Amino acid sequence: MDGVSIAGRGAPASRPARLLARLRVLLAPLPWLAPALLLIGAVVLWPVVEMVRTSFLAISSSGATLGGAGTRNYKDLFDEPDLGAVLLRTLLWVVGIVVITTVLSLALGQLLNARFPGRRVVRWAVIVPWAASVLMTALIWRWMLDNDSGVVNRLLLDLGLVDEPVNWLAHPGQAMAWMMAVAVFVTLPFTSFVILAGLQSIPPEVYEAARVDGASGWTTYLRITLPLLRPALLIGTIINCINVFNNFPIIWSMTQGGPQHATDTSTTFTYKIAFFDQHVGESAAMAVVNFALVLFMVALYLRAARRSGATS
Amino acid sequence: MTRRWRVALLAGVGWLVALFFLAPYVEMLLTALKPEHELTRSPGGYVPSHWQWSNFTDVWTAAPLWTNLRVSLTVAGGSTLLTLLCALPAAYYSARNRFRGRGAFLVLVLVTQMFAPTALVVGVYREAVMLNLTDTLEALILVNAAFNLPFCVWILHGSFSSVPRELEEAAFLDGTGRIGALLRVTLPVSMPGVVTAVVYTFIAAWNEYIVALTVSVSDNRKPLTVAIPSFVTQYQEHWQYLFATSLIAIIPVVVLFALVERYLIGGLTAGSVK
Amino acid sequence: MRKQFAGATAVGLSLALALTGCGKGSSSGDDSSGKTIRFVAAIYDDNTKGYWDGLIKDFEAKNPGYKVNLEMVDWEQMDRKVKTYVQTKQAPDVLNYNAFSDFARDGLIYKAEEVVSPQVLSDFTPTFVKQAQYQGAQYGLPFISSARLLFYNKDLFAKAKIDKPPASWAEVQADAQKIKAAGATGYGLPLGPEEAQAEFYSWAMNNGGGWVDSSGKWAINQKANVETLTFLRDLTKSGVTQPNPETTDRAKVFNQFAQGRIGMAIGGPFTKAGFIDPANKNLNFGVAPLPSKNGSSHDTLGVMDVLAAFKRDGGKNKEAVRRFLDFFYSAENSSKFLKLEGFLPVTKSAGDALSADPYMKQFVDALPTSQFAPTGNPAWSAVAGAVKQDLGAAVANGDPKKVLDGIQQTAEKAG
Repeated sequence: MDGVSIAGRGAPASRPARLLARLRVLLAPLPWLAPALLLIGAVVLWPVVEMVRTSFLAISSSGATLGGAGTRNYKDLFDEPDLGAVLLRTLLWVVGIVVITTVLSLALGQLLNARFPGRRVVRWAVIVPWAASVLMTALIWRWMLDNDSGVVNRLLLDLGLVDEPVNWLAHPGQAMAWMMAVAVFVTLPFTSFVILAGLQSIPPEVYEAARVDGASGWTTYLRITLPLLRPALLIGTIINCINVFNNFPIIWSMTQGGPQHATDTSTTFTYKIAFFDQHVGESAAMAVVNFALVLFMVALYLRAARRSGATS
Repeated sequence: MTRRWRVALLAGVGWLVALFFLAPYVEMLLTALKPEHELTRSPGGYVPSHWQWSNFTDVWTAAPLWTNLRVSLTVAGGSTLLTLLCALPAAYYSARNRFRGRGAFLVLVLVTQMFAPTALVVGVYREAVMLNLTDTLEALILVNAAFNLPFCVWILHGSFSSVPRELEEAAFLDGTGRIGALLRVTLPVSMPGVVTAVVYTFIAAWNEYIVALTVSVSDNRKPLTVAIPSFVTQYQEHWQYLFATSLIAIIPVVVLFALVERYLIGGLTAGSVK
Repeated sequence: MRKQFAGATAVGLSLALALTGCGKGSSSGDDSSGKTIRFVAAIYDDNTKGYWDGLIKDFEAKNPGYKVNLEMVDWEQMDRKVKTYVQTKQAPDVLNYNAFSDFARDGLIYKAEEVVSPQVLSDFTPTFVKQAQYQGAQYGLPFISSARLLFYNKDLFAKAKIDKPPASWAEVQADAQKIKAAGATGYGLPLGPEEAQAEFYSWAMNNGGGWVDSSGKWAINQKANVETLTFLRDLTKSGVTQPNPETTDRAKVFNQFAQGRIGMAIGGPFTKAGFIDPANKNLNFGVAPLPSKNGSSHDTLGVMDVLAAFKRDGGKNKEAVRRFLDFFYSAENSSKFLKLEGFLPVTKSAGDALSADPYMKQFVDALPTSQFAPTGNPAWSAVAGAVKQDLGAAVANGDPKKVLDGIQQTAEKAG
């Protein structure tokens, strides 16, 4: 319609037609992509913008907006004496959990891929921590680790491994180790299934060839299986990084990041700034910093994915 | 090592692994079966001295669990459906066609995957207010669908990309049409990817907590995840109910999982195919 | 072919819209007449919801055309909910909460006199009215109160050959040692983030310390407070408390107390019904005044929750809010709530209802000597937050003076 009317005004006939054709090409994907774009744009991106905006606002302790704050929220945030330690701990938290999970999952995936009686039941059992909500799993672990009535202490006492109950979650070092163990526990199912899937996508002929060449079990694994698992490992790693980074329930329900900030990661720290310190704007600034970190991880992933694409 | 020994060893290790993963939930069950006065006894007992089976029936009257269960199912089912409806066309089109903005679209999908609703709750709530959707299941469905959509697009994109174009072309030339070819050939072949998307979204929506907590107001629009923690407050603690309900909430997901496990394994690597 | 594309999308989109558009919940309170109000109530225990459901039904029957939409929220989740609501300008008409002064400072809530009748206003006990004021005007509506006293296990005291509960700190220290020698924990000290500020203040006020000085300025690192925290630290270091007070919350202490494993701990009226009875109905315990440094005069920690009424465009919700609040504050309705939940009265008319119960009477009697946290200061929430996070460190490995200096700094920064 528009094209016709423009043409009617005496413009070269071919140009609007070409424009229209180009527009058509440009818009062709839209019917297919629109629902996804709409949903992502409206429900995911919009709150992100909102959050960034909040980080530049002065918000009173009641939650009321008082006006612009410039960069004061960020200044306050970077003045937090605990910020550096919290960020370092977050790094340890993410890298530690993802690396340990991946290593364990490689073994677990191999096991789940092997043939033995009852394999299906074992697979179902491995699923359970994924199916259970992380909050509930964290709560039962806290329950088991309780120094007075927890079953872990009871067991260790009965086995004679400790002389008196240990208050596991009260000491930052031990608490951190336990929480990371719980995080590994809930991350293992998904990861080992990804690796299991990867293992099953390797054609048997490849192993056949290796056997003919007389390669030993380990050599086969290192030279053939592991490289072929690379795509599965990549997908598992990136999803795990995100989930582990964003994990709030484990730390919150087991130690609340305490004593003081000794077991905080950036997500619990963000929460505490808003709800203990009553500083909503600074909390938003911390959330923005979190997002920057996430984007950094994405960039790393993209680089890794490209490299993996180039080698395969 | 003979073959038989090898299998026995594998089975032994396998069963130990199963036990390890189930142990916390067995403890959850044992705790859920203790009478309230036994819960905090120290040192704790391994098994209840009195098996309080009634805890599992009492929870149904202590809280409107049927309603919560129904809400959880509706939200998880609804968001899974909506996610699929939006993700399928986008993933299919971007897997089959080169177009301007394809790269940007895929990066957008990758990046938005990283965002968790936890940090965005205020914005999400403001949005619900604007759309007049506070205290509705629709809001929960929209949010869960949107936040899981990127992962599903990603997985399905990889899944579709791995289906040989020739297979689809053949069906297309047989006169089934583009959509027919998609439905009859491509989709069945990519079933593992679809199942993965379904399971991932369903589990995520089933366990979502923060958004539901903020958006849901009425008791009959609260999912299980929001209802469960109410058993433990500052003024009283019913841990046995909390754990009993948690176990009840796990069951539907495990059943779903057992049903589709076979497909899932094929689907989980789909996203990595470039 | 193109049609098919468009068709597929249209189906997808309309399904999505159908899913999102169908059926809107009926709970939003934004009616135009102002006759429907939203009430956010805190969950105290299993009975709370039943009480409000009943009260609202009664109210709606007696006030045709008026409607109250109730939302029940856990204390654990309350802060998050309230901040989100205020930030998105969706505050409820009436809120049941433990703070009000920052709402008053930001001009979000009505003054008390605007939303309750003069009779109700004059019925509040003066102690609580004082706590509900911001800059000299009453904004908060006292809702329930509570007091803290020293719980002690009589059997353990007998076993340790102690004949009466301790009155002075020296006696606390000595008794705790004796109880420890008798094989139990002497004193249960919850200084974890759950409610460290209440435990600390219970001790500090009985040493002449507190949060502010006589002129109302923050005085958190004053000498009396440092002394108090040093005393608690010494208790901990001498091993007469449970391990790791800095990560212990009250539930843990009272679960242990109920099993006869702790000799003394500070608790409130709800402690018996909420924690002792469910675990051990037969526990032989007594309740005594909070011990003081010198052992002569004893102050009590008072705690008050409030109702706050939020303004809505031009005050059109005022009439409905007033009707609802007046209905709740009738002597019959409010004392029913107190009895059901085990809290102490905030009004003169409900005062006698509880004194019949000898257990409750001890707390009612302690109310007149109670000291409160400075809830009228909008910065208090941030200060309490800092106390919750940091105070426990002083008994673990921190230095009491330094810890209190840090909190003082936070307080001065907050206002």
